[in-house]
Amino acid sequence: MARVLAILRALGRAYRRDQRSLESVVGNNFFLVTALLLQNAGGFIYLLIGVVLLFPLSTDPLRKVPASRLALWPIEAAERRLLRALSPWVNPVSWVVAGLAVWAIRGKVTFGLWAAVAGLALAAFLLSDLPFTPGPAVWLHVPQFPGRWNQLIRKNLREMVCTLDFYCAGTVSLCGLICRSIGLRLPPEAFVAMTVLVALALSSYAESLFGLDGAGGLARYRLLPLAGWEILAAKDVAFLAIAIPLTLPLAPLAGLAAALAALTMGHAPTVNRPLPQTRWRFSTGAGLIFGMLHAGFMAMAACSVYFSSRLFLLPLIAAWAGSIWYYGRRLDRASA
Amino acid sequence: MIACRNLTRRFVDFVAVNRITLDVAKGAVCVFLGPNGAGKSTTLKMLTGLLAPTSGSITVCGLDVTANPLELKRRIGVLPEDLGLFDDLTVDEHLLLTGAVYGVSKRETRARANQLLHALSLEDGRRTFAGACSHGMRKKTAFAMALLPSPRALFLDEPFEAIDPVTSRIMRDLLVTVARRGVTVFLTSHILSVAEQIATQVVMIRNGKIVWNSPPAALPQSLEQHYFDLVEAPVVEDLKWLGSSQS
Repeated sequence: MARVLAILRALGRAYRRDQRSLESVVGNNFFLVTALLLQNAGGFIYLLIGVVLLFPLSTDPLRKVPASRLALWPIEAAERRLLRALSPWVNPVSWVVAGLAVWAIRGKVTFGLWAAVAGLALAAFLLSDLPFTPGPAVWLHVPQFPGRWNQLIRKNLREMVCTLDFYCAGTVSLCGLICRSIGLRLPPEAFVAMTVLVALALSSYAESLFGLDGAGGLARYRLLPLAGWEILAAKDVAFLAIAIPLTLPLAPLAGLAAALAALTMGHAPTVNRPLPQTRWRFSTGAGLIFGMLHAGFMAMAACSVYFSSRLFLLPLIAAWAGSIWYYGRRLDRASA
Repeated sequence: MIACRNLTRRFVDFVAVNRITLDVAKGAVCVFLGPNGAGKSTTLKMLTGLLAPTSGSITVCGLDVTANPLELKRRIGVLPEDLGLFDDLTVDEHLLLTGAVYGVSKRETRARANQLLHALSLEDGRRTFAGACSHGMRKKTAFAMALLPSPRALFLDEPFEAIDPVTSRIMRDLLVTVARRGVTVFLTSHILSVAEQIATQVVMIRNGKIVWNSPPAALPQSLEQHYFDLVEAPVVEDLKWLGSSQS
């Protein structure tokens, strides 16, 4: 029993320290801005936040122990079973589900709500035990690009689709596509708003373009005979290769404008304050104030192109090119 | 080919490298030896432009390292301490990336990549993502990346660690061959037997200072014994509890 308790205590400590899923949502532009701006109208977004938080938090705590280590520990079969039975209670979500069950019995919440939360938590718990590693079959089929940045762009694309931001943007884009497909008559403003939401969902990633490269990747950038602007350009091409198709069913030119705005402003924190990111989580942005300004700039860019003139794309392209040149030089100086 | 004068690197109060002066000739295999934390990797980082020196000057391939970083990168091949691999690229894609950014034609890159993958027994794992590779495979990939552009100088940080004996032998032979063709090889290692076999210059560093610099023939005794005498002698403490009872 002492051994099991020691392991459970260690699991508890590891669990408390791993607050990444919570932090990533707290620092993500999409959730920050939509929660602040939509307020009462943002029910769907709040539901999304709840699901997003609940899902990663519901993972099996025993996963935190490396399988090889667990197999090597001199614990007996009965202790292993005890560990299996007790470890889920290290997770606070289990206590929430248990608390909701008590409330449901007392009639304070409906059994339906309890069943929905418990089902979601159970699904996340069971899914987290499945060996899910994206196999080569999926990621090898990233398209080729012309030029010497080809492999860098492909790598950046793979990184981007390993963030939940991409799937969040994809969900909004899919909603727009469904609306168009079934002929639902939405006002044109709705498509611009959805376009901005797509750009917003991707904007936190634009603020930390090197977040998933890791120490090894960053060291390699410094060894490659490439100028800083080329490294940033390879990142931006990958970003645009995702953002443009996602905004195609909505307002494509406004989407391009918003994506360029996202990159133009995103270069500053990317180079000045690089934040490491975690795969299969939402990207953490540069902060609330920066996120609000970033969202405002993207909305302005999208609206001016959509409602005023397509010519607004020209100054946006110029600003983006200027930003890539300036921050490319900063990158060169930082690595010298 | 490699020359540094009074090279110093300070980290706040700690002096990692202290006024090192060193010359490595074209076609030499310079083995840089020293205990952990002696300043080997810091020196290698400064020689390759990855870390700015606090003071002193460095010339590699006739270029001032701090003044011409981009041109320097085009002329050297590096196997860095952390290998510098992208988790999201396969072994093969790392080599294709290297060829593309160093201006090697596609056909030539493919041919060189195939030869290197074959020589380093990496053919079966060529479509494996670096993030899923074993440490040995990652090291071999980084080694192949350093060789692929056919650089004029090679800088290798502990290339033989975690490598199987057969591949280690192949790597040693490759290094000796390229050195004969005029490529300068600068490597750090803890494996003294390998160092003894390939070195044409032995440099030992302790506490950031060079304590020995000569051709292997000028060593007064075996490399291992000289290393123990000069750099650090192994002191084996008897841990009495080891093996005495069940824990």
